[in-house]
Amino acid sequence: MIAQLFLTVLLSLVVLYAWSAHRKAPVVGFLAVAAALAGLYLVWLPGHATWLAHAAGIGRGSDLVVYTWVVISLLMLLNLHLKLRAQMEEITRLARSIALAEAARTLTAPGEPRSAAQPRP
Amino acid sequence: MPTSAPSVCVVIAAFNEASVIAGVVAGVVQAGWRVVVVDDGSADGTGALARAAGAMVVVHPINLGQGAALQTGFDWAMAQDADIVVTFDADGQHRVADIARLVDALQASGADYALGSRFLGDTIALPAARRLLLAAATAFTRITTGLAVTDTHNGLRAMTRRGVSRLRLRQNRMAHASEILHQIAKSGLAWIETPITIEYSAYSLAKGQRMGDAFTILVDLFAHRMHR
Repeated sequence: MIAQLFLTVLLSLVVLYAWSAHRKAPVVGFLAVAAALAGLYLVWLPGHATWLAHAAGIGRGSDLVVYTWVVISLLMLLNLHLKLRAQMEEITRLARSIALAEAARTLTAPGEPRSAAQPRP
Repeated sequence: MPTSAPSVCVVIAAFNEASVIAGVVAGVVQAGWRVVVVDDGSADGTGALARAAGAMVVVHPINLGQGAALQTGFDWAMAQDADIVVTFDADGQHRVADIARLVDALQASGADYALGSRFLGDTIALPAARRLLLAAATAFTRITTGLAVTDTHNGLRAMTRRGVSRLRLRQNRMAHASEILHQIAKSGLAWIETPITIEYSAYSLAKGQRMGDAFTILVDLFAHRMHR
């Protein structure tokens, strides 16, 4: 019972995390919620886990739970990767703004040309 | 498109190209084109060398990638009221004379994008393995974009102001070349291909894409579609 309660708390946190990621990464969020709910189901109905494991060609119900956890971990890793990409986009926008502002400041300094484009030769 | 001579801005994205950038910029400037080099956080003085060779230089405070540098160049050219924007590689494998060919083709056709094609034109010293990689990439691009291009990941292209305004690159790294073609397809604007020549050197081959990069590009394109 202690293990069941512990896993329930853990998987509930995963559901909350996945749902919070749902808006930014809908596919990953949906899959992680589904995997975590499946994990909760298997934690509380281990008999079904054994039955499902046999149906899926896996030896034991506990193996199925482990595999489910691995899937959840990989999905969370993917979500982390996507979040890093999103952050990189923010950094890119910031760096680009700084670069363009600095270049414009240089260009409008006295003695500098006013246009970066010119008629074709 | 104005009836008078259009203003043209050549955008060169450069990262640690100190050994070649001065020669590349000088060649383009001597041909009469105005150049903006986007120094993508180089640590070897690329920006200063480009400026000394006659380019306007926009400096990224950190290295972001070629796609990000090109978008910065587009933003700069648009802010400077360029009518036509040309992208040109920093590694010296493009020929300056092809800039005029692309600009002429763009104006004569009325299209918004003139894409350089090395396979309609010529390649010099292209290794067989690279040719194979490019053929696979082109086939992939044709399938995923629906554009019947003969070349892909070719950095030499010319675009009208309207064409540039339809591009918003989010792929910072090498996948931007595929992203540009996707966005061209999505824009519905007219495009043409123009024969150009690419001359490979040991330097440009070392700086260019490898087999492993193809996998990275696929991952980047996949990840982009997974995220809003």
